[in-house]
Parts: sequence; C-alpha cells; structure tokens
Amino acid sequence: MQIEQILVSTLILTTPILLAAMGGLVNRQAGIVNIGLEAKMLSGAFVAVIVSSATQSWFIACLAAALSSAVIGWLFSLTITRARANMIVAGLGLNILVAGLLGFILSWVYKTSGTLRQPDVVLLPDVLPDAFDKIPVIGPALASLDPLTIFAWVTVFCLPFLLTNTRIGLWIRATGNAPHVTRAVGLRSLAIQDASTAFAGFFAGLAGAHLALASLGLFNEGLTAGRGFIALAAFYFGRDRPIQTAMACLLFGFLDTTQIRLQTAGFPPKLIGMTPYLMVLLALIFTSIRAQRKARL
Amino acid sequence: MSSNVASRSIGILLPLVVSLIVSGAVLLAIGKNPLDVFGLIATESFGNPRRIAATLSAATPLLFTAVATAICFRSGVFNVGVEGAFLVGGLAAIFLGFTLPATWGFALFPVCFLAAALIGAIWLYVPGILLAKFEVDEVVSTLMLNFIAVAITGYLVNGPLLSPLSGNNVTPLIHEVAYLPRLMPPSTLHAGFLIGLVCVAAYGYWCRYTPAGFEGALIGLNQRFSRAVGISVPRTIVGVMILSGVIAGIGGAAHGMGQMHRFSDGFSPGYGFTGMAVALLGRNHPIGIVLGAILFGALASAGTTIQLFSNIPLDLVNIIQGTVMIFAVVELGRISLRRKKGTANAN
Repeated sequence: MQIEQILVSTLILTTPILLAAMGGLVNRQAGIVNIGLEAKMLSGAFVAVIVSSATQSWFIACLAAALSSAVIGWLFSLTITRARANMIVAGLGLNILVAGLLGFILSWVYKTSGTLRQPDVVLLPDVLPDAFDKIPVIGPALASLDPLTIFAWVTVFCLPFLLTNTRIGLWIRATGNAPHVTRAVGLRSLAIQDASTAFAGFFAGLAGAHLALASLGLFNEGLTAGRGFIALAAFYFGRDRPIQTAMACLLFGFLDTTQIRLQTAGFPPKLIGMTPYLMVLLALIFTSIRAQRKARL
Repeated sequence: MSSNVASRSIGILLPLVVSLIVSGAVLLAIGKNPLDVFGLIATESFGNPRRIAATLSAATPLLFTAVATAICFRSGVFNVGVEGAFLVGGLAAIFLGFTLPATWGFALFPVCFLAAALIGAIWLYVPGILLAKFEVDEVVSTLMLNFIAVAITGYLVNGPLLSPLSGNNVTPLIHEVAYLPRLMPPSTLHAGFLIGLVCVAAYGYWCRYTPAGFEGALIGLNQRFSRAVGISVPRTIVGVMILSGVIAGIGGAAHGMGQMHRFSDGFSPGYGFTGMAVALLGRNHPIGIVLGAILFGALASAGTTIQLFSNIPLDLVNIIQGTVMIFAVVELGRISLRRKKGTANAN
C-alpha cells in the first residue's frame, strides 16, 4: 500500500463526512443537534444521480441535491422549532421516513430494489490537469481533487471567520448559547435556527452528491452507510469548531481507507469500523469530566 | 380536566392521522385507493387466527423495546440505545444457548434470560452512569453504543462465534431444548409474546405502584422539584437505564430463543427504533404500548403480503413509522391549548 494511494483515498472518503459535518456543526452552534443528516445525505445522493443523468451536468446535479436536502432540512426544522418536536426522536424518524420514501420510489418508479443505475451519469470532474499526477507523494491526491472536495476544504477554512467575525455567525452562536437573549434583542431566533438547519441540509445534500458522483455514478440504499452519524461524531469530537472537526473527519476518512487494507492484513473490519463511535464516546467522557472539574474550581 | 383529556387525545391521534394522510397521499400518487390498501392491511393482519398469530409474532420484540424505551423516556432520559442492548442481550442468550450442554434442559431458559438481562443492564448502565456522574449527553452516548453493539456482535458472528456448518454471518443454532415453545404452530408466535405481556404488565405496576416508578416519573416532570423533595436524580437515572437494559436484554433473548434460534447479522431490523415509535405512540402507557406494538406488528406482517400481491413496496411501513415518530413528539395540541389558556388569563 503506497502512501500516494492512501492520501488519494483518504481525501476522497473524507469529503462526504466533512461536508455533512460542516453543516451539522453550524446547526449545532445554533442549538439544534441534527440526527437527520443521514436522511438528507441519502436524498441528496438520489437527487444527484437522477439530475446528473437527466441534465448531463454535475454542477446542476450537485445544486439540485443541495437545494432539495436544504428544503427537507427546513421542513424538518419547522417540526422542531415551531411544533416543538423533540429533535432527537424527530431526527431518527426523519431518517426512517426518508429511507422509506426513497425505497418506495425506487421500487415503484424505477422497478428496482436497492440500487438505481441511470444512463450517462456525469461524474464529478477532476479540477486540476492530469500533469499534477507527476508530483511526488501529493501529486495523485491533487490530481484527483474534485470540485466538492475543494469546496469542502474552503468551507472549513472560511467557517471560523464567518462564525466569529460576521453578523450572521454571531447570530447563530448567540441563538445556540442564549436563545432568550437573542429573542430579547429582537432577533428571530427560531428563523435563525431554521436557516441553520436548512444550511445543514444543503451541505448534507452536497455530501450525498459526492458519495454518488465521486466515482460510483449510481444510487444505493446503503450508500451513506452511517456516514451521517460519523459526521455527527466528528463535530461532537471537534466540539463544533470547524478546524478541529475537519481533523476528526480526516482521521475518520483515514480509518475508512485503512479499513479495507487492514481487512486484507487480517484485522476484523467490523471492529475497525467502530473506532469513530468509540472515539466519540471517549471524547465525550473526557470533555465532560474536564468541564466538571472546571466548574468545581 | 376536559382540556387535559382533549390535549391527550390530540396527542395520541395526531401522529396516527398524519401518518395515515402521508401514506394515503403516497398511495394516491401511485394510483391506488388508500382505503382499499388499508382495508387489505387490516384483513391481512387480523383476518383469521393464523394471521393474527403472525401479527402478534411480529409485535413480540416491539413489546420489549417499547417498554425499555418508555421506562427512560418518561423520566426525561433520552435513551436511544435500546437497539444496542437488544443486540448484545440477544447474542448473550444465544451464545449460552449453544455452548452450555443440552443436558441442562429447562435450566437453560433462566440461565440464558438472566445472562441477557445482565448484559443488557451493563450495556445501558454505562451511558446511565456517564449521564448521572459526568453529565455526558445520553443521546449521543447511546447512539454511539448502538453502532458499537452492531460492530461487536457483527465481529463475533463473523469470527469467533461463526457457525462451522453454515455460511456467513450466523452463529450455530441453539439447542432445541432451549427453543421457546410455539403457542400456535405452525405460526411462529412463541412464548416470548407472553413474556412480553408480563414485562408490559410489570412496567405498568412499576409506574403506578412503586416508589421507584413514581420517582422516575417525577424527575421526568421536574428535576428541580424532585431534588427539592429529596429524590436522588443521579440514582434514578442510573436506575431507569439499568431497568431499560434489563428489559431490552430479555427482549433480545426472547427474540433469539423464540424466533431466530441463532444470532445473525440482521438479528434486529431496527426493533429498538420501531419500539421507540411504539412507546411514543402509546404515550408510555402500558395499554398504549400493547396497542402500538400490535399496530406496528400488523404493518410488518401485512406489509410483506401486500408487497407480494398488490405490488405496493414494503417501504410503505417505514414511511408510516417515520411519520409516526416525527409527529408523536410534536406538541401542536398542547401548544394551541396553552395559548388559549394564556389569552384567557390575559383577558
């Protein structure tokens, strides 16, 4: 296993988790824990495949995936903010509902179960010319950069600024930390929360589009394979900070990469697959204990 | 009082009505008459004794997972880890069911069930103590534990516990003496259903007549008040988590020893989450839980037949379940009533 290959596949496998986690962390900063990321990734992947096949444009496909998931996120948000549904149960319900709807559409409209293949699906293009392939070590990774991966990393480095130095960023964080204060100064905190959930949906939709269009070009019911929850794990692990969360995503992407390799080396893949979840559990324990110690001092 | 009754009935009816509307709309969209389909579901699930048995059989695991969920939810503890406890409990029972000598005979039942209850209890004790002692968010910890349970059991059935005789992802069959008796052969309805009913009844008794059950409800209503009257909130939280684990573990054992007779990768197709929908729909009430479990059992058992004969995809069941979960936690009824009260006071 060469280092070039590891870099390439880590980079590609990180992107969907990263996109979903960026949306989720903004959502959580506004005070909503988004358990429904998985659902929005899945619907994004589905829309991306359909639209890519129909329009022959990866860009329109990604946009459609993102917007459709943003709408789902917004509707989901309304049940939480306006109808005061418990966000956890509603999120789990959304995952089941969307999976059910997509399965239903697959078998009724497309007469297939599980996997949807469409003709002429346009995949995400490589941004940089193939010549970059020649650069040692990082060359192949650079050459395989797709637009969504670049967008994801640009987001990672813009978000800290956006969250701390812009008005909207401040609103979002204020809404999450002190909703009554936000209301008291005349901001519409519920609308801000709805917008943040739509934002999370937008990014989850892109994450789904990346899963479907990065290399596969098809939709599968198990395509997301819990990556929405890994993203959740990442922003819990990174405590809602973009850079730290991105590092966690890289780590999870790397684990995902090595999982396949270690399997051939005789390590049980299932046990490697549980490391993200275990790490989050340990990180949660660690941060909680530390917070408690601080509170005592 | 009347407004209380009104808000309660809205709370129970709303998720049902909305899910009927949503699934009805889906059916209309594909050109099927929703009433015909719902009628077909009803006859397919309750039409004759054999079908009723199939429905109750499908409802059996849900009785356990719903009770396990309700125990925590009514205390305001958002334990979503019943699925994981169900899995590890089931695997523990199955493991003993095929490793202990068959000559133990009937003694296998209590041993397997106790082991499952114990493992389930330990499994949920962990997030319980983490919440009580260190305020670790129980939603995330139990969610993560579900994935860990899937990974561990998946590893075990593909590795150390893999059956030498049959292909992938399954353990050996348990001894035949450890099969829970069938109640209405040839249907798969087994004694686990009765155990489930006993658990629901015990849960009802615990809620109404025991101090621990009362304390659990109290911390769910108002933690500060509970503390003020001398209830130990951490102890109650750990207590309800352990109880939840016990019930979920027993459920796994009953499902394993009554239905599957072995552990496989698809041991639970999300019973923990369907159980959550059942508990929410039944508003944590024992009778509500039994009715909810039978409703979802009916959907599951009829769904397969419906798919076979009228070509309607089985996914309809998931659409209904998801809608029920979302709208069971919506507080429309209560909000509108509260607003009315508020304006009345202002006037």
